Amino acid sequence: MSRVAWLPGSLFDNVDKFANSLGYQNAAIAIELAMQSWESPEDRNAFIYAITGDNIQGGTESKYPIRNLGR
Amino acid sequence: MAGNENSGGNRPTAPQNNPANISATGGAGQSGTQPARYISGMPYGQGQELMAQQTSAPMSGAPEGPIFGKQLGSLLDPTNNPSEPVTAGVDMGPGPGSDILPKNISADTRLDENKMVVQKYLPTLLQAANLPDTPDSYKRFINYLLEQQ
Repeated sequence: MSRVAWLPGSLFDNVDKFANSLGYQNAAIAIELAMQSWESPEDRNAFIYAITGDNIQGGTESKYPIRNLGR
Repeated sequence: MAGNENSGGNRPTAPQNNPANISATGGAGQSGTQPARYISGMPYGQGQELMAQQTSAPMSGAPEGPIFGKQLGSLLDPTNNPSEPVTAGVDMGPGPGSDILPKNISADTRLDENKMVVQKYLPTLLQAANLPDTPDSYKRFINYLLEQQ
């Protein structure tokens, strides 16, 4: 059985970023947005930044640095 | 009474009343207004009065494009209202908050939506919670979803 890895830009990574950036109370919309076909993690992060005005939350492990878009 | 009984009035067979002769722009020139049209069959004097009213000021032309709203684009399309912040109507970010929304759409239905989504997607999302590289933030979110069941 092949080993499944956590990949940046995957559905699960998208769920992590949207849920933690929008808040758990917005779980439904976070999951729906996570299922959109984002061109790249950067594209997704830019969208999150546009709607929250804040840096992307979630997945702070060193393997998955969160790009600080800054203001 | 002298004269041709067919004279005067709106003749349906006249060239200007043939739909095939009407231009694609509406046949009202390029002014964006509609022309005055004599309406026959009205009581004596009123037809002339109505004609005078129509010619006293330019009448607005037909609106361009669909009347009942524009076609919905996709989520990622550029905004049709660039002057409005994307967070208008939401209680965060720039722009007015949710108090500008009509009452009938401001009810908080998120809990119900969350439960529906949890039932639908939690089995799939759970698969990634046990991967060795899975961030703690993802595990915390999955635990939250499990509590919502």
